[in-house]
Amino acid sequence: MSHSDAKNIMVYVETVSDTPLNGGLEILTKAHKLAAARGEEVIAVLIGSNLEHAANTAIMAGADKVILVTKDNYEMEVYEAILTRLAEKYKPSLILSAGTLVGKDILPLVAGNLTTGCAVDVMEITDKDGNFVFTCPVYGGTVLNDLVIKGTPAVAAVRSGAFEKELVVERTGEIIKEQVGVENTVRAKIVEVVNEMAETVNLEEAQVIVSGGRGMGNKENFRLVEELALACHGVVGATRPAIEAEWVPRSHQVGQSGKIVAPKLYIACGISGATQHVSGMIGSGYIVAVNKDEDAPIFDIADVGIVGDVVKVVPLLIEEIKKIQSL
Amino acid sequence: MAYLISEEAQDLLQDVKTFCEKEVKEQCKEYDASGDWPKNIYEKAFEQGYQALEVPEEYGGPGLNRVDVAALIEQMAIADAGFATTISASGLALKPVLIAGSKEQKERVCELVLEGGLGAFCLTEPGAGSDAGAGKTTAVKDGDEYILNGRKCFITNGEVASFYCVTAMTDKTIGVKGMSMFLVEAGTPGLSTGKEEDKMGIRTSNTCDVVMEDLRIPASNLIGEEGKGFSIAMKTLDQARTWMGCIAAGIAQRGIDEAVTYGKERIQFGKPVIKNQALQFKVADMHIKTETARQMVAHALTRMDMGLSYTTESAVAKCYASDIAMEVASEAIQVFGGYGYSREYPVEKLLRDAKIFQIFEGTNEIQRMVVANNVIGR
Amino acid sequence: MEMLVCIKQVPDDSVEISLDLGTKEPALIGVTPVVNAFDTYALEMAARLKETFGGEITVVSVGNDEVKNSLKNCLAVGADHAYLVKHEKSESLDPCGIANILKKAVHDIEGELETKFDLILCGKESTDYASSQVGLLLASKLRLPVATNIIKVEPMDGIMRIKQETEEGYRSIEAKTPCVVTVQKPDYDPRYPTIKSKMAARKKEIKELSPSEEVSSMLEVIRVFEPAKRVAGIKLKADNEQEVVAQAMSVMTAAKVF
Repeated sequence: MSHSDAKNIMVYVETVSDTPLNGGLEILTKAHKLAAARGEEVIAVLIGSNLEHAANTAIMAGADKVILVTKDNYEMEVYEAILTRLAEKYKPSLILSAGTLVGKDILPLVAGNLTTGCAVDVMEITDKDGNFVFTCPVYGGTVLNDLVIKGTPAVAAVRSGAFEKELVVERTGEIIKEQVGVENTVRAKIVEVVNEMAETVNLEEAQVIVSGGRGMGNKENFRLVEELALACHGVVGATRPAIEAEWVPRSHQVGQSGKIVAPKLYIACGISGATQHVSGMIGSGYIVAVNKDEDAPIFDIADVGIVGDVVKVVPLLIEEIKKIQSL
Repeated sequence: MAYLISEEAQDLLQDVKTFCEKEVKEQCKEYDASGDWPKNIYEKAFEQGYQALEVPEEYGGPGLNRVDVAALIEQMAIADAGFATTISASGLALKPVLIAGSKEQKERVCELVLEGGLGAFCLTEPGAGSDAGAGKTTAVKDGDEYILNGRKCFITNGEVASFYCVTAMTDKTIGVKGMSMFLVEAGTPGLSTGKEEDKMGIRTSNTCDVVMEDLRIPASNLIGEEGKGFSIAMKTLDQARTWMGCIAAGIAQRGIDEAVTYGKERIQFGKPVIKNQALQFKVADMHIKTETARQMVAHALTRMDMGLSYTTESAVAKCYASDIAMEVASEAIQVFGGYGYSREYPVEKLLRDAKIFQIFEGTNEIQRMVVANNVIGR
Repeated sequence: MEMLVCIKQVPDDSVEISLDLGTKEPALIGVTPVVNAFDTYALEMAARLKETFGGEITVVSVGNDEVKNSLKNCLAVGADHAYLVKHEKSESLDPCGIANILKKAVHDIEGELETKFDLILCGKESTDYASSQVGLLLASKLRLPVATNIIKVEPMDGIMRIKQETEEGYRSIEAKTPCVVTVQKPDYDPRYPTIKSKMAARKKEIKELSPSEEVSSMLEVIRVFEPAKRVAGIKLKADNEQEVVAQAMSVMTAAKVF
């Protein structure tokens, strides 16, 4: 595609049970700001069935147009082909998606089909002299790269928590139903989808996260983290060592190899503050750390650091917080 | 600084380091406390073939020179000295066979080791420590067999070995000239183990009594000739003690590593404690001693590889390395201050581990006698 | 089953890489180069498949002579053949460029070994740049089915049965053979090289291949920098827990956290 006729931002918004995932909505809000500054539009793409309600949510989040494509089941190759066709037809200058498993699967392939490049794990997008600049972490987040994509459109998968969602109820937009003919030649077919999670852990959207690390000592003590989370109406997070010790399921992991989170309040209990973990929660609004080792690196980033034994401190915190909340 | 080693040994060293970091170092803490023998760790180590480092190439070993092997053993000692002792004690038990054994005996013990077996060298008895010639274990020839009776003590790998090299008196009347060396395989009727020692250090190694009661072995299990046992044992120890120096240097190196890491982290008076010249000089002295010990170990091993005499060098290496391991471990604790005295931190263990290296395989007093005899002459 | 495992050499990921403020480049001097962790999982998965289903494992990488050491390490833990596509500036290539080179390498190696790969394994991402695209793009260029983030693969009746890890659980995928998979950490660890296998691997030859025609990179890094540091707040210490918690609570209520 040539540069001259490419404009507008296309955002693939993933849906689960007819509901758009938060990551996609966050990106729509960001895309809306980027597009508005250029006098362009945001085109959301939703693939699935019964998506009218989801389309309206997408408009509230920032989409000017919503393209609905009806498909029953997710198949990577089919979705990749649909998005490629739509990109060829609508000629956006930028294609975005949340960096979920699906997003990170189809966007590189779409970029490959369109002979352009794809950035992943994008933390920030800026518009610099008409070029989109993407900020991506390397070496586990200790170094950041700003990169530009020389092909058109630019394609990028955004990491969760990078942008904030703003839903504006009054916003209006156009819903377009598209039929995209895709050859039914799926080479890798999904035959079964299994959900092993007893509960949904929504770390990305949590306002409060209480996390525990190796310093909790054992599974029993880790319950204190859960109690504190309950007391602050928060979600339980954990570091990799706590996950590997099987104190909590993997879905609770915060960090480079887990979830990237940005809650208003983050309470770190018995967490030393390894980069692996810190790079996943550094964007939190207010950080409280409890650790007995006063030299622990977590204190370098905490707004309030409590030097003390977590097993003694956490029950007292629970008590105090309950007191405040009953006022 | 370290041993000057071949390119393949450098490559292996990286593997050993990774293995020890991931599978030995932290895991051994628990066993240091309990005193249990960490079978699972050793099984993994045997899969890697660590116990077979000293098996000659012609018998299926890796064909590394001794300094190459020393670099690998030191890396194991940095992780845990008890672990390195178990591995090295197996090499110790190989030596009598390699020094004086028949081709069949060499093939057999090397085969056992390559399959993941350990050896145990059985010289010391309750009444015969430094005075090894005072041993009371006897071997009586009966047709095509020898019958062994006696009790050995402080035997490293006693309970876990696949084979034993045992000294016994074939003729009590002529003292050390009546001592012979025998190869005994595990499972031979009449062979049992006695009391296990609850040791101060190297607690991940097994040390116990080995008991022989009317133990019958084929006459072909005699290593070398009758009456040569003492001489074989002394040659064995001459070589083996350098390896103890190697492990001791590893303990010292761990002390330096821990002291430096902690010294950089620990803030007092607003700066890392290592910024104080008093501690910098301490670390320098620790390094000077450790590096000197290491190069003495390398020198003795190089002489062995070159076929030159090494008795004095080996004694110097063992004696010096174990003495400075005690000093360096003690200084490492000093750098840690109060925390160093706590079992929660890794340095007090080093002092406990280091002490035995001044004692076993010839006490440092014996080493000084060896050195003095060689320097002064008779 | 004939398998190809694609390997990337990366700086040791247990070392925290910081930015060299002088050169404005990541400070990599003194950091040991290792095989990317996810590639080691892929190789272990292949080694286990070989133990069950037979066949041979070939490893391939793109880079300069230094990468040969990593390939030797692969030969010590299950690989039978190793190929290096010589490229002096492989770090300047984008995922698409690497995939292009690997595509040609697949054809070259299949020609040399007179075989056809049934399964091509990659790590799900590299620990340095973590772009997670090479496996996908390689499959696309070879027109082969692909599944990412897999924790298990097994050949069955001419197809590959694949278990793909998802956020919520897993998906079972059936792919036509040959196919490409990108491997997530399974519930086992890669084996260690033994002294013996390492010595044997050192004697094996690493064969060299020439790269395909250069494709210009679509990604251009225009700035390398460090993440903004957070400023440390206050650290509270007291003689007992009651006191320190009381202090903390007053700071937090003043900051309207609760």
